[in-house]
Amino acid sequence: MKMNLSHFEATLLFALFASAVLGVVSKSTDKERLRYGLRSFGYFAATVFGLGWLMYLGHR
Amino acid sequence: MPRVSLEEKLMPDTPVPQFPPLPPVRQWLGPVVVAWLVPGGGHFMLKRHYRGAILSASVLIMFVFGLLMRGYMFEPMTGDLLTTLIYTGGFVADMSAGIFYFMAKWFGYAAPDIAGHTIDYGTKFLVGAGLLNIMAVVDAFEIASGRKQ
Repeated sequence: MKMNLSHFEATLLFALFASAVLGVVSKSTDKERLRYGLRSFGYFAATVFGLGWLMYLGHR
Repeated sequence: MPRVSLEEKLMPDTPVPQFPPLPPVRQWLGPVVVAWLVPGGGHFMLKRHYRGAILSASVLIMFVFGLLMRGYMFEPMTGDLLTTLIYTGGFVADMSAGIFYFMAKWFGYAAPDIAGHTIDYGTKFLVGAGLLNIMAVVDAFEIASGRKQ
């Protein structure tokens, strides 16, 4: 069995797990952890979209 | 309103809280070793079940995805600086995933280092799983040594 993910799927999965761990280890209350994890995921996703568009426009 | 000089602002009378001294090794060594060998295990040992479960699941799923994408597992290699840094650093990061790394090796996992975006992502997922576990180990150390709740 081999998994084939697109760039988008792979980066978002990576962002999801990294954000979950960052949220758990970084803050001191559950509410703060959840907020930090979500914010971190948002930053990851925004970076993926931003760099994706940058590369797309750079190759035109 | 009393005027506060710059010197008073920079050096207030209240003493700066000192970082607590390192507690005895036996207090934190067990949870740290368990946290490395079994991702999330250190948190379970310290009765942080909920956080341990999230850490464990994140590292495990990421590692399994890395294997399913046939990621390359680094072996220590020396040569020029970049080669040494990438291969030795990658090896340390891979091994940081603890029992998952050793099990993959025991069961004979040996994907070749070939070009391709899926394999490349797999390699990054394997390394990433180990790096996330390093953060979990540090967190377990901080909890066990009383620096964090």
